[in-house]
Amino acid sequence: MDNLAALPTTKKTKKDIHVGRILGKAFLYLILLVGALIFIFPFFWMISNSLMTLGETITRRFLPDVPQWINYKEAWFQASFSKYFLNSVLITLGTLAGLLFTSILAGYAFGRIDFKGKNTIFALFLATMMIPESVTLIPNYLLIRGNIIPLPGGTWINTYWALTIPFMANAFSIFLLRQFFAQIPNELWDAARIDGCDHLRFLVQVVMPISKAPIMTVLLFGFTGAWNAFQWPLLVTTRDTWRPLMVGLHGFVQEAGPQTNLLMAGAVITIIPILVVYFLTQKQFTQGIATTGLKG
Amino acid sequence: MESNRELISTKSRSAFKQQALKDQITGILFTFPALIIIFIFGIFPIGYSIYMSLFNWQVTKGPYVGGQNYLLIFGSWSNLLVLLAGLGLFVLGFFVWRKAFQSLNNGSRLAHIAGALVLILGGVIFVTGWGLMYETGNKDFLNSLIVTLYYALGTVPAEIILGLVLAYILYQDIIGKEAFRMIYFLPYITPSISTAVVFQIIFSSRETSLANQLIGFFGIDPLRWRFEPKPVLNLLGFDVSGLAGGPSLALLTIIFFGIWSFVGYNTVIFLSGLGNIPKEIYEAAEMDGGSKWDRFWHITIPMISPVTFYLTLIGFIGTFKAFNHIYVMRTPSAQNTVVTTSLLVFDRFYKANQYSVATAQAIVLFVIILGLTLAQNKLMGERVFYG
Repeated sequence: MDNLAALPTTKKTKKDIHVGRILGKAFLYLILLVGALIFIFPFFWMISNSLMTLGETITRRFLPDVPQWINYKEAWFQASFSKYFLNSVLITLGTLAGLLFTSILAGYAFGRIDFKGKNTIFALFLATMMIPESVTLIPNYLLIRGNIIPLPGGTWINTYWALTIPFMANAFSIFLLRQFFAQIPNELWDAARIDGCDHLRFLVQVVMPISKAPIMTVLLFGFTGAWNAFQWPLLVTTRDTWRPLMVGLHGFVQEAGPQTNLLMAGAVITIIPILVVYFLTQKQFTQGIATTGLKG
Repeated sequence: MESNRELISTKSRSAFKQQALKDQITGILFTFPALIIIFIFGIFPIGYSIYMSLFNWQVTKGPYVGGQNYLLIFGSWSNLLVLLAGLGLFVLGFFVWRKAFQSLNNGSRLAHIAGALVLILGGVIFVTGWGLMYETGNKDFLNSLIVTLYYALGTVPAEIILGLVLAYILYQDIIGKEAFRMIYFLPYITPSISTAVVFQIIFSSRETSLANQLIGFFGIDPLRWRFEPKPVLNLLGFDVSGLAGGPSLALLTIIFFGIWSFVGYNTVIFLSGLGNIPKEIYEAAEMDGGSKWDRFWHITIPMISPVTFYLTLIGFIGTFKAFNHIYVMRTPSAQNTVVTTSLLVFDRFYKANQYSVATAQAIVLFVIILGLTLAQNKLMGERVFYG
């Protein structure tokens, strides 16, 4: 402390500036931390409540005395979450397979092939991104029910097809891949063509291996989209046969009502797969979303 | 020699033609699977919706009724005409008014006044049309538009500001930047059905609910949150009631959820937008002696404006489409104060089985979204600075 007084005044003011800077920085960290707390708190609350006894959820303790893992077992079996979970997995996998197939092909065509009608079709695709579901929902429902055109099997209500096929293509994924494919240097294609490559082989053997990042992004967005879907599955599933997790959870909310702890256990079950995938690939995710966002 | 060259050129020309034909076929073939699905489930339904809205269609198709379903919304065509005329005048007045600002000659003051007058007149006629419509048209639908507007105004600006602030802070040298970004983005990707369930218990009407305990800490009596149809302003002591009194507390709770789940998305997009601003500009400003605040206000804000514009646009479209979390967070006792247009359309269709009424309402919603998008493009697109 004595040393400090002995320092020349100029040094002292510099030190003051330094202190000010540190305080400023601390303030920034404070904002960031408060933000992070607010964002993460509902997840903490979900998990902590899922491990409480019913009594504890009513008295609003912060943490359970003894973690009640049995809640998960009850939600899993009592509310047939096991069935919904399997349905959601199968629906998501099927949707993703279809989505990858259609969007890689179309993205390649829009990005790398010159053909008549290309711009018209592309503009049409992009325009569909603005259309609210409210407009398309009712005709699609009639279509799936077999009221507009005859479908094999009469009606597709409560079928796997109703839950997957409508989501097997979307403008966003095609747009995202097109942006990337269009940037691939033409020299690669010229060289491949001299070797006798056609578009399909070039796509599979050259383009796809170097496009892992954007394909991954499409997969991730497709995954969350299919997993989180609610409105459409609510409409086209009237029985448990193909009912996915989100609709199951919604039904459980009304059934379980005051049984907060079971409800929270159910909610945790629905988000675990999303969390696992997110933590494994989060860099890809945030980068993918950033590039698509800016190109929009 | 000469003939040889010709031979080569015709040969390459025919090869070129062949490649063009091949490209044409491959292009069509490659886009075909996507085209079929997007056409059947994305484009065809729009036409079919318009078709349905012209019939009396309840579960099954009934007789042709023309514009009857639209008439139910507006009350009468003249109401719609008055409303649109007001809107047209308003837009016209706005352009005259702004043109007057730009030009510097003597007539500008007159044009200025004229523009302002037309603007006011347009506004008055628009409000009159709205009033007429409200008297004879479909109140549920018009109310749902007001609720949707409250929801949009309550969420989008807050999401933009918070997103920009968080992104700007993260853009400084911050330890643990990646971790913060990951946490902020978490609510955006987790299913809203699951996270809304947590908000339901946090904002429950019980005295012991977390939200009530929190406000109790500040000496405020417990509130009914999701179950409260009274306007927030009314609860704050103002003498207002009904939808005209602003968003209800129930809607505000849903707005909280909307902001919570969407800020992270804006943060991530803003963050990458900030990364695209050339460092040289900041360095030049620093040499000129601008303060940190100056730099934020005069460099960051204008340079980031294309991103802000993009986020505002998709934010607004998003709120007009929003369904899932509102559907699961609404309570019967909140009445119509949380029923946005997309929920109303769904209820008409799913609960009341009035298919043609629902499609007519959906199409009006679609037209409003289109109009707003165009207006936003025109208004903000001109101010946006594209570096």
